[in-house]
Amino acid sequence: MIAVFKREVKSFFNSPIGYVCVAVLCALYGFYYYQAMALGSSGYIPSVFGAMFSFCMMIIPIITMRSMSDDQKNKTDQALLTAPVGVGSIVLGKFLACFFVYFVGTALGGLLPAAVMSTFSSPAWGEIVGNFIGTLLYGAAMIAIGVFISSLTVSQVIAAIGTFLISVLLMYIDMISSAVDNEVVDAVVQWISFNNRYDVFTQGIFSISNVVFFLSVAAVFIFLTARKVESRRWS
Amino acid sequence: MIEVKNLTKRYGQNLALDRVSFTIQEGTIVGFLGPNGAGKSTTMNIVTGYLSATSGEVTVGGKSILEDPNLVKRQIGYLPEQPPLYQDMTVKEYLYFMYELKKTKLPREKHIKEICRLVKIDNVYNRLIANLSKGYKQRVGIAQALIGNPPVLILDEPTVGLDPKQIIEIRALIKTLGRNHTVILSSHILSEVQAVCERIIVINNGRLVADGATDTLAHDLSPEHRLTLRAEAPEQELVQQVSQLPGVVEAFSLGEKEPGVYEVSVETEPDADVRRPLFSLLAQRNWPLLALKNSDLTLEDLFLRLTSTDAAYLPEEQEAASLDPEQDQGQDGDTDQDTSSPEAPEKGENEQ
Repeated sequence: MIAVFKREVKSFFNSPIGYVCVAVLCALYGFYYYQAMALGSSGYIPSVFGAMFSFCMMIIPIITMRSMSDDQKNKTDQALLTAPVGVGSIVLGKFLACFFVYFVGTALGGLLPAAVMSTFSSPAWGEIVGNFIGTLLYGAAMIAIGVFISSLTVSQVIAAIGTFLISVLLMYIDMISSAVDNEVVDAVVQWISFNNRYDVFTQGIFSISNVVFFLSVAAVFIFLTARKVESRRWS
Repeated sequence: MIEVKNLTKRYGQNLALDRVSFTIQEGTIVGFLGPNGAGKSTTMNIVTGYLSATSGEVTVGGKSILEDPNLVKRQIGYLPEQPPLYQDMTVKEYLYFMYELKKTKLPREKHIKEICRLVKIDNVYNRLIANLSKGYKQRVGIAQALIGNPPVLILDEPTVGLDPKQIIEIRALIKTLGRNHTVILSSHILSEVQAVCERIIVINNGRLVADGATDTLAHDLSPEHRLTLRAEAPEQELVQQVSQLPGVVEAFSLGEKEPGVYEVSVETEPDADVRRPLFSLLAQRNWPLLALKNSDLTLEDLFLRLTSTDAAYLPEEQEAASLDPEQDQGQDGDTDQDTSSPEAPEKGENEQ
């Protein structure tokens, strides 16, 4: 697992893709922090993370698109799958590498400006850390989904577009609820919606049920990816 | 060391491997021979645990690939048909990665340097794999398989893309490795297998069609044994006398090759050696013998025959065929009605 993780992280930062993702995240955070500052109060910081929600969901497909598909295309999966490591640890290594890139971007973009602000004012650190954790959590869930979709295809482009569609769906699915008049559908949609779940964090509430939700989604999709890779042996 | 039992693999409707069985002893170099698409790579992929068989069993060193995959994988170094190289890494980074991935315990720096020297890639050690030529990539692939010093090496077409000099080097390397490794290599190049391997397994259309020692395979599997002789003698008499020798099945003239010199093709019984009686006969008659050569099938003829028809030469298959009631009837028909039975010519073809 560690070997795969190290290789994947190296590969992200050997190519521009890792730097681009981190830089875009930092730039967008910077822009929204600037807005919050222009409004004149550090109490607006949660709105920065709130605005970043949709951007993060759009950048994640780019981080995950090559994670599994590249190996299939270059046949390097033959080296991984014939090595004495389990499929689970290979997938976990790849997931963690994608998450690491996302983590670096979010930490640099989300925490650094707040740290700078704290030198001349006193931002609400509780709120900021809560938001930061929420951001990492939905990121982890979305990255797991992205890694799974990337394992379904050998084409990076299809993986990226597929993940992008799913992430847009998860972002705006709660809008369906107002259009549908069925209570059950409404409840399910509200339950799935990443937006609803994340909103709680922006309000400064650290809700365990939402933490569990995001972690479960991540775990389920890592598991499914491992099954998918395994199933290729049987086809 | 390696035991494969009734390996069958289906890709949907397509039967890629059909009940392939073989056992490989420790320390032998075995060649997998067969045309493209015969099932060589599929077999190797199953033995290394990359694919799963539809049915059948693979054990390496007494451990089943299904039950103890990690133990088995640790014992195997695998070079797939397309070397599994990460283009964005340098040779050094890649080998270090494979070292970690395989959880090798040997001293890293020394072990990897040694392998690089062995496959002669130390001069590209710090170069990006993407920028290497095909030959070097192939060698990095071999290096990768050697990491961890596994007792079994499985090499899928190891010399593809190499220039003739490199091919000779790699063959020599494989021979050296064969001294303390069990090596399986696949190839569709006959001379390569002949030069390197002690044993040959021929696969065609997913079935094992021949299996034997390199030196004797051709002789053992030849359905007929033939001598061609050239002597200065009257044609009719020569053919007649030769065909009456004990052990000779049939003799016929191939015509006059030089003035007064005739060539005769002699088919013998499988275990009969008629060279000495033949010599005595000709000496008695004072017919100068000008040439005598063995025209058993060469390995190449055999390979072409084995892979161009569906006929299998395994004893089991022959037994199965003789148990077939229709075939039995055909044989009966043979004795009663000579060759007028419609099955007779077909059967004759099968036997060749």
